[in-house]
Amino acid sequence: MRLQAALFFAACLSPAAAIYPDEVNHIDFHHALLGTPSPDSTFFLKPSPASNASLLYTLSDKLLLGAVNPRDGGLVWRQNISRSADSPAHGAGLLRGLDGNDAVVGAVGNYIASWSAQDGKVGWENRVSEGVVGDLELLELEDATATSGVRDTIAVVASEGAGIVRRLNGNTGKTVWEYKDTSGDVPFQVSSSSTEVFYISLQSAMLKGFKIKVTVLDPSTGQQTRQQILNTEADVATPESVLYVGANSASPIILWTDKSQKSLKVNVIGTKEINSITIDNTSGSEIRQITVHAPRKLNALPHFLVHFETEAGAWAEVFHVDLMSAKVTKAYQLPYLTGQSAVAASVIDANVYFTRITDLEAVVVSSASHGILGRWDLQKPSSDIALHSVSEVVAKGKSVAVRSALFRKHGDWQLIRNGQIEWSRHEDLIDAVAATWAETDAQEDLAHELEVEGHETLYGAYLHRVKRHIRDLEHLPDWLKDLPKRILSSILTDEVSNLDSFGVARSVIVATKNGRVYALDTGKHGAVSWGVQAVETSQWIVKAILASPGVATIYSDDGSSVTVDVSTGEIVSRIEPSNSKLHSIAVFEAQDGSSLATVGVREDGTPVTAFVNEDGFLVTTSIDGRVLGWFAKDNKTPVWEFVPPSGEKVVDATARPAHDPVASIGKVLGNRSVLYKYLNPNLALVTAVNEQTHTASFYLLDGVSGKVLHATTQAGVDSTQPIASVMSENWFAYSFWGDVDGSESSAKGYQLVISELYESPFPNDRGVLDSATNYSSTATLPLPHVISQAFMIPESISHMAVTQTRQGITTRQLLCTLPFSNSIVGIPRPVLDPRRPVDRDPTTAEAEEGLFRYAPYLDFDGKWYLSHTRDVAGIKAVLSSPTLLESTSLVFAYGSDIYGTRATPSQAFDILGKSFSKLQLVLTVVALGAGVTVLAPMTRRKQVNALWRA
Amino acid sequence: MSQARLPPPPPPQWVVSLNSPMPRPSKAASSIPDPPGFSSSRGGKQRQQQQQQATTKRPEDTDALKMKKAWEIAIAPSKQIPMNAIMMYMSGNSLQIFSIMMVLMLFKGPIQGLIGTNAAFAKYDTPSTHSRLLGVKVVYMLMQLALLCLGIWKVNAMGLLPTTRSDWLAWESERQPLERAHFAFR
Repeated sequence: MRLQAALFFAACLSPAAAIYPDEVNHIDFHHALLGTPSPDSTFFLKPSPASNASLLYTLSDKLLLGAVNPRDGGLVWRQNISRSADSPAHGAGLLRGLDGNDAVVGAVGNYIASWSAQDGKVGWENRVSEGVVGDLELLELEDATATSGVRDTIAVVASEGAGIVRRLNGNTGKTVWEYKDTSGDVPFQVSSSSTEVFYISLQSAMLKGFKIKVTVLDPSTGQQTRQQILNTEADVATPESVLYVGANSASPIILWTDKSQKSLKVNVIGTKEINSITIDNTSGSEIRQITVHAPRKLNALPHFLVHFETEAGAWAEVFHVDLMSAKVTKAYQLPYLTGQSAVAASVIDANVYFTRITDLEAVVVSSASHGILGRWDLQKPSSDIALHSVSEVVAKGKSVAVRSALFRKHGDWQLIRNGQIEWSRHEDLIDAVAATWAETDAQEDLAHELEVEGHETLYGAYLHRVKRHIRDLEHLPDWLKDLPKRILSSILTDEVSNLDSFGVARSVIVATKNGRVYALDTGKHGAVSWGVQAVETSQWIVKAILASPGVATIYSDDGSSVTVDVSTGEIVSRIEPSNSKLHSIAVFEAQDGSSLATVGVREDGTPVTAFVNEDGFLVTTSIDGRVLGWFAKDNKTPVWEFVPPSGEKVVDATARPAHDPVASIGKVLGNRSVLYKYLNPNLALVTAVNEQTHTASFYLLDGVSGKVLHATTQAGVDSTQPIASVMSENWFAYSFWGDVDGSESSAKGYQLVISELYESPFPNDRGVLDSATNYSSTATLPLPHVISQAFMIPESISHMAVTQTRQGITTRQLLCTLPFSNSIVGIPRPVLDPRRPVDRDPTTAEAEEGLFRYAPYLDFDGKWYLSHTRDVAGIKAVLSSPTLLESTSLVFAYGSDIYGTRATPSQAFDILGKSFSKLQLVLTVVALGAGVTVLAPMTRRKQVNALWRA
Repeated sequence: MSQARLPPPPPPQWVVSLNSPMPRPSKAASSIPDPPGFSSSRGGKQRQQQQQQATTKRPEDTDALKMKKAWEIAIAPSKQIPMNAIMMYMSGNSLQIFSIMMVLMLFKGPIQGLIGTNAAFAKYDTPSTHSRLLGVKVVYMLMQLALLCLGIWKVNAMGLLPTTRSDWLAWESERQPLERAHFAFR
């Protein structure tokens, strides 16, 4: 008995529909994105003093802190610190790292934390109660208390009317000392040299502008040693006027310009003197941007580079600081070049190198002299503007090698090593707002031809087909040429890796908030095939992307649309914005799916135009929470209107997917009778919440008549938590956070409710309509028989989708996005069967049906996780697409990260597995054939001999 | 030519004994048991009977005998019914290769028997017995049908007969709505 139980348990554990380890990175891909790296919080750093290779660290505008492997662009670790800060961050966060330190320190808002540079584990966290962190610096100076690998942090906290400078212990994050400046100056920055800590604040001058006040502090005690005020009120109008404050340098500098950008003003921090250097602008056009690049290392030479950008070109000047006299002198100039350029400084020992990447080449110079140490032509000159870069230079004897991480305006983060693009991260995809599967037009011609044949007479169709086949013969030489390669590759590789011809290699069109459109190829691990700037905007609100063969059209909320070619990304056509703001886009699809017609829906739910050609009904939602039904020919008065009871607000509405095939119209019970499914393509599930009474209501509407077919209300619902719902076939599911509400419910937590619709409660009964082949919603629409069941689930679900397969024979999976654990889980539908017997074991008939005992707590099985160990963060929507293989459904998730995989809910029953070896089969057949040819003459001879002997 | 025609020589002994019937064995000789291992005793008897029939040639007796044999053949399938029933009961209702094979055999026998009804009774079919053989044939067919029913019962028990609603589900079609709604929810 125990053995039986063990065997049964083992059978249950068999890897049903789980991801096999060898399928990871094979059938799925994951773009772990960071967002736009901020220029002053991005750097190369060796994660520990012992390691040779450095990692690329950044803190992005999305407040994602990450380490990227410069070798392949893969993410080593990532932390989302946007949720850690109590007060909202002003602008970007700060990230500082230091060679010789094991940790990187970052700050957002009032939150400072240290992370191990190697693996991103939190070292310490500190929340500032007084205000927000204004600046951060790691203290490089060695003192007696410092241990190797740990550096203390100096932080400036800007609070109400005061600036606080704190030294935080590198191990614990505890405050070592604190200096409080209550003079009312604007706390600005912190800087340090080898002996002193400088607190730089901006003092409001009498009339206008600011004076820069430098307070020199003792690094070990925090006592003020002296104070200097620079008379800069004529030049510094706002804190942004100060271009640069150096830190961790032998002679840190403050740099600003005069108002007319005619001269640079440089002050070596701690001295009173202001060096004024005339800007030698030979380009003749106005300087647009000035950036300063200086080493941030105590023992580095006190050299710095000022980069001047104009509209058309850029040049740079290198300056040396004399340590003794605190004089700044110009050393040499990098010539003016038209086009864009990005400069980065890097340090080897004491030497400082500057890397300049222009449109055509990458150049490395030493700070000491203007001689070019290395020059590489860029392999693929890019027209995309380079915004900023960080570089790492390696000296090999006399020559140097350089790798630069360059961030471009269109969101590509590229690593250029000696002029070659090593990798490219498309960080703009983090802002993906809409996506759809592209339809290629490769099969379109054939489909068209077949259609022609279908409409002709028998003889004509036959002739047409013969002609078509003769035409096809022109592909024969190519086909024959490819044949050996195809045979060889099909023998050598396994079937799973060779499924591109079965529709698993589809491309996805993704639109981002910044007006860019990308095509990602799921067959090539989500590689970006192309990216175009479709619209120049930073707030592109995309309402729908519709794919028709060969092209995809992106509809925006202002009524404009852009049509792009899905294979090249070329913009085919554009429709200019109209004056009305759109709430949604209605799509009329012809029955054969050949043509799409769209009509915009205004925010009050009215269609912009009437649709004369269409003979259908339209269901819209308005911004004030009503659901409206329209006859397509009339856009003036709605046919019906659904207004939830007072106090309730419609938050979501969902309908069955456009492609939702039903393989069987009934469910076969254990005694082989049939429970008929209630199948109606016009169903809509409307979610309404009442924030006062904390209830959530779910209404099942018929989209033609507006009739409420089923309604249910859940009490104790937290409407601030995500409420996700989905509908498919004859069932719908929703999840919410339900609270204990007196004696009403004993379930507190996240709940998942599934409801199935049947035509009748009795088996073998088709309800009122019985055997009618069609029905009208307006005449007789019977109510469904609804069977529901609730499950307690461990965490919230932010989005739900359903796997789609070609014919719907494969069991479906409920694809749930789990925002807390950053994963996507595919719950098999049989588990969520509401007919599972409650409080009793199933009868034989029920067991035959596959029902097992209901358990209220539904734990997400590890096998269900489609994203397995991956950290798929910030997913907003999941798309599913059928492939030519019935067993396989493509899944694509976007929102913040990009994730794609193949789901096989009933296992890959139509694919030969990896264990099937074609080579072995061929060899066996060959061996048998050889055996037969050798043995046949021998046997024949033997038989003849036997005859003679008899 | 002076030679006179000689009378033909007397036939040899073996020809004489071949042509003359075997002498009836004496009582004593018939009581002698056959030697052990001598297998053709029944054949011998049959030959004797045939010889007797041939010698006696009483048509009524022959017909009665033929009818008796025909009845035996007609009843024979009924003897298989209990055995087959037990076998079918024991083999279970699961769809396995053995139970399927047994069911197939069960069907094959009766169907072949039914087809070969006339052949089975051909040797007893004489003009005189023809009319009387009709009843025998009917009984024979009934017996085969009984076996066939056993097979059908078994197939039904295995769930192979399309007698339930679910068996015809694939031929039922989804009810089509006359109106179509398009949703613009996003």
